[in-house]
Amino acid sequence: MDSFKKKFIEEAGELIDKLEVALLALEKNPGDAELIQQVFRVMHTLKGNSAMFGFDLIDKFTHDLETIYDKIRTGQIPISSDILNVTLACVDHLKLMLDEANYDDPDFKTIHNGLMDKINRLINPVEVGSQKNREQAKSDTSGPLSTYYILFEPNENIFNNGTNPLYLLDELCSLGEYKVFSHFNRVPDIIQINPQSCYTYWEILLATDKDVSAIHDVFIFVETDSKIEVQKLSDQNLLIDRAFVEEISHLAEVQKDVGLVNVQRMASKVVARINKAKAEQFTRERMAIKDKSTSSIRVSSDKLDLLMNLVSELVTTQARLSLFTEQSNVSGLVPIAENVQKLTRQLRDIAFSIVLIPIENLFGRFQRLVRDLSAELHKDVDFIVEGADTELDKTIIENLLDPLMHIIRNSMDHGIEDSRVRMANGKPAKGKIVLKAFYSGANVIIRVADDGAGIDPEVIYEKAVAKGLIPPEKKLSQKEILDLIFLPGFSTAKKITDVSGRGVGMDVVKRKIADIRGEVEVDSVVGQGTIITIRLPLTLSIIDGLLVSIDNAPFVVPLSSIDKIYAIDKESIYNTYNNLVTLDGTKIPFFSLRKEFNLKPSDEELEQIVVVNFEDNRVGLVVDHVIGEYQAVLKPLGKHYKNHDVFSGATILGDGTVALVMDTNKIIKMFAGIKGVK
Amino acid sequence: METESKNQIKSYLTFRLGNEEFAAHVSKVLNILEMTPITKVPKAPVYLKGVINLRGAVLPVIDARLKFGMPEAEYTNNTCIIVLDIDVDGESVHVGAIVDSVQAVLEIDNSQIMPLPTLGSRYKSEFIIGMAKIDERFIIILNMDAVFSIDEITEIVDIDQIHEEESKNEQ
Repeated sequence: MDSFKKKFIEEAGELIDKLEVALLALEKNPGDAELIQQVFRVMHTLKGNSAMFGFDLIDKFTHDLETIYDKIRTGQIPISSDILNVTLACVDHLKLMLDEANYDDPDFKTIHNGLMDKINRLINPVEVGSQKNREQAKSDTSGPLSTYYILFEPNENIFNNGTNPLYLLDELCSLGEYKVFSHFNRVPDIIQINPQSCYTYWEILLATDKDVSAIHDVFIFVETDSKIEVQKLSDQNLLIDRAFVEEISHLAEVQKDVGLVNVQRMASKVVARINKAKAEQFTRERMAIKDKSTSSIRVSSDKLDLLMNLVSELVTTQARLSLFTEQSNVSGLVPIAENVQKLTRQLRDIAFSIVLIPIENLFGRFQRLVRDLSAELHKDVDFIVEGADTELDKTIIENLLDPLMHIIRNSMDHGIEDSRVRMANGKPAKGKIVLKAFYSGANVIIRVADDGAGIDPEVIYEKAVAKGLIPPEKKLSQKEILDLIFLPGFSTAKKITDVSGRGVGMDVVKRKIADIRGEVEVDSVVGQGTIITIRLPLTLSIIDGLLVSIDNAPFVVPLSSIDKIYAIDKESIYNTYNNLVTLDGTKIPFFSLRKEFNLKPSDEELEQIVVVNFEDNRVGLVVDHVIGEYQAVLKPLGKHYKNHDVFSGATILGDGTVALVMDTNKIIKMFAGIKGVK
Repeated sequence: METESKNQIKSYLTFRLGNEEFAAHVSKVLNILEMTPITKVPKAPVYLKGVINLRGAVLPVIDARLKFGMPEAEYTNNTCIIVLDIDVDGESVHVGAIVDSVQAVLEIDNSQIMPLPTLGSRYKSEFIIGMAKIDERFIIILNMDAVFSIDEITEIVDIDQIHEEESKNEQ
């Protein structure tokens, strides 16, 4: 039973995510009936599932929510920002409920009852407000205007009844948007004219939300002896289409009158045009949501992990087979081994691509964050997401949430200025934050760019000096100054706000990204904005490495950190006191891995020195031999080595032996006695 | 269901370290391997001998003698690695334990398991489930989860007790 419940929670989590996306889309496009249907459907499913698995509270809660959307769906109440706000708050609350919150907690109860109250008020509006609501409802639901063609040919003797046809036209035009064409072609010559007769007649295009009877009401007293024609042209306001109005005006000038037939012909063309444009817009808006319905199956991540392990094992076994084939001279074995190699490689690539998931879900959450922050900070911000289909290892995506959240919060809070300040600086009042993901070689780059105030290097510098992070008078380049924000204990916020500056700073961001083998960089121009760039590996489980040996034991050094490799004679390493070696004319510090690993010195005359990048310096690591490049399937060392993080894992070589994978940054820090950055 | 059947099984795997015989509940044992070359992990505690390749996975290996505070011994043909499935904060963790030799699988009924004498015992009580007397031999039944937990400072021998024993011997 528990496994069913687990499945329910997993599925409900997904439904809630879907609901959130649909609600945010609905906010942008409140008239979209399809989106309302979708919201309703998701709620309905959620309700059904929770009832089935005995989550009564969720069942009751979603039932009431569903009622609201049922009413919206059937046009009983209009969608409003109020409803959307409450629904989004409910979505948050549902997430909490799924996390098996303590239902008896007083805080939980207050929130829960508060939301239930709000929902009930939305379903049954209170008496006082109801009148207004209903009126609003009426004008909103009948919101789209209709366009009518009206022909008004008053009886020649109309003036005798004391009626002024112009008053009637005034009244008619008060119903909505209008375009009147007056026709004087029946006015006789000046000699024959009877000043007591009315010769003029009118054709009117009227866009109104009232129905036909309201139009007829205008003419109620003249209906009997005048010629009145009222014809509905379309359910839309055609007068907003400028081409249509111009065409009719032109026709009215050239011909004596326009005539219903002509108007109807033109109207149908315009309707077709407007509908087409609308349809295009609709599809665009809905693309993002519809794309998700690509056929897929659900697989538990345990099974995927198992698959990955088996594939890694197969890769290892295949490497052994190739090695064995090379050594033994059995004819016919070579093509088989090569075929196995080819198949294994394909299988490996597919298996690795399975565990990659699009970054879309993660980005979706930030839409919500920005929306809420906009309201909280009273800043109007355009949040643009690009490359949401970029795929990354799921572990990486999970670990990106906090750092990205922090960066976006910073952008919203410190980066984007008040709209008044922005206008004064000649920028658009609305701020802009662009979150973009894209591939670059074997990396994925995620970039957060805002067009806010930027970071002032002078402020950073002064602050760093004041905090004692750098000695005064120290000369730093622009980039070095900007990098200071990644130092622990650095936070330039003048006051601690609710949004950012809560003590966790960019140093935490940097560390968390380093944990998933990523790098973070900052670039900023004062007054123009800030760009934070995160560079990540595609996957955590495979790395390009350099295979080296120390005392006959194999080790892997990640290729990404290696700068250059030199051969070096033993004398210059062991007969030194300052641990510096001259390579290519520059002195660089080095560590002998044999010495640091407490092994006896090597007997050989020549050793290899692998120069790696450590922060902004180059540091040499002395090894016995460099064996060659190696694509390593990274495996964890296990919990027993969790405090031993100078090795990021191990990999299994073709002959079945285990090689340790070094984390060069941590190794150098340990050797240099630099205590872990806290 | 699963836990019930586990509790019903009364089989224990016995192994030897020096002159002492220990027992581990079979539900904790996954596999018994012959001694294979071990890849050393530099800068790790001594009892963590390194890692081995267990059918494609990397398995940490602990020398049980060192972990128990006994002197290190040469590996012989009888030396084995017992692959254990231990429980660390509710999570299953695999680890290999190097022992001098594996003896047998015995049926030990719960009624045969006696508590350790509270006084004068060499071993700390949190690591021991109890003792059983089988064929005139005393077998110490270990709490494998505690003994091979990831805590670096566990030494199952009570140092104070040894000092006491030593001082008695001197007298």
